[in-house]
Amino acid sequence: MAISKVTTASITDADITTAKLAYDAAPFRNIIINGDMSIAQRGTSTSGLGSDGATTYVLDRFKFQVNGSVSTARYTVSQDTDVPTGQGFVKSSKIDVTTADASLNSAYYSFYRQEIEGQNLQYLKKGTANAESITMSFWVKSNKTGTYICEIDDNDNSRNINKSYTINSADTWEKKTITFAGDTTGTLDNDNGSSFRIFWWLAAGTDFTSGTLATDWESTVNANRAVGQVNLADSTANEWYITGVQLEAGEVASDFEFLPIDVNLQRCERYYEKTYNLSVAPGTSSDPGNRRDAQSSDGASNAVAVRNYKVRKRATATLTFYTGTTSGSVSYERSGASGTSTVNAWSKNGENGYAAYFGVGASWSGVHIEYHLIADAEL
Amino acid sequence: MITKVEKTYNMDGVTFSGYRITKNNIISLVPLDEANTDYQAIQQWIADGGTVIDNPPE
Repeated sequence: MAISKVTTASITDADITTAKLAYDAAPFRNIIINGDMSIAQRGTSTSGLGSDGATTYVLDRFKFQVNGSVSTARYTVSQDTDVPTGQGFVKSSKIDVTTADASLNSAYYSFYRQEIEGQNLQYLKKGTANAESITMSFWVKSNKTGTYICEIDDNDNSRNINKSYTINSADTWEKKTITFAGDTTGTLDNDNGSSFRIFWWLAAGTDFTSGTLATDWESTVNANRAVGQVNLADSTANEWYITGVQLEAGEVASDFEFLPIDVNLQRCERYYEKTYNLSVAPGTSSDPGNRRDAQSSDGASNAVAVRNYKVRKRATATLTFYTGTTSGSVSYERSGASGTSTVNAWSKNGENGYAAYFGVGASWSGVHIEYHLIADAEL
Repeated sequence: MITKVEKTYNMDGVTFSGYRITKNNIISLVPLDEANTDYQAIQQWIADGGTVIDNPPE
């Protein structure tokens, strides 16, 4: 018999899925930026990672970090085209073990992570009686089956919550959904600093595994952060892929929110932008896309580059100028002379632009300077 | 890894405007912004014993 009337009481909230809605009910619901792994401005692969404690970005907004001082394990992080079939994704992140460490030092850690500004998280009402639950969903694949840990770290209040997920079948894309309870303790700073750090653990020494997994929010105890985590680094045959990462308010994972490439890129450019074409890694090419400024040099023989960024930055950016493949300089041309020059001074730096002064050897009208530029304001 | 840090100045030759650093063999300019993670790394590098080169313009 046909149903003639449907009221709100007829359908439970849980049965109203994104797929049943005629429109996207909550645009920009994904707290994660570049969750489809489509943007990789710095280049598509970096090898030999793990030699020190430094963090490394390869794909935009996703940082790889190890405690390399206590291990010989090495990795290659890359953007890859291996993706789950029929889900709409075209890129993934791949972490490949290139030098193994089967016997980890107690202080070792290895994880993939993204950091979120506090001002993007205020609607979660963390630290109040109305704190929202949040749900993480992602696709993952590895030859190394077993237990892995996903962590949300409250960087403002030194609190964290950690959940395990299981890779059940080797070399098979699996979708994982994890719901984290809301936290009624510890409000997040309403600023441009890192308030949430999302960790996907890959390997952990006993300093991080010897306690009881913090499946509810608690003040950070390292021993409770990665209990049960497999050691991805124990063989050079091991690799780990991830894509379709989405973190959203509530207890239900909606379908992944695909954004147009221009929107996704602009969101990444708040943290990092370059003058190079999107497919060109910095420092690998002179053309195309380099900036060419025509002007006069001042009384101190400096030509000045004054520019606004394409996208306002999270904070005042670190600037890296390139002439061809050489960082720290620009090329110039004026009547009777040409060459390269380093910056003599810089000022007026802010979220939206900069002024940099380059010596060109003489006061002269009609000076061209050419360069590529990286502006980096990542967390 | 940071291997070299120098002070940079405004065009007045007096006002300290930031740092020129060499990190992983790449030369960059770092602003005096506590929210900038390279600035934070420089402060840690100094705390760990690193020496900043200071050659004000003449």
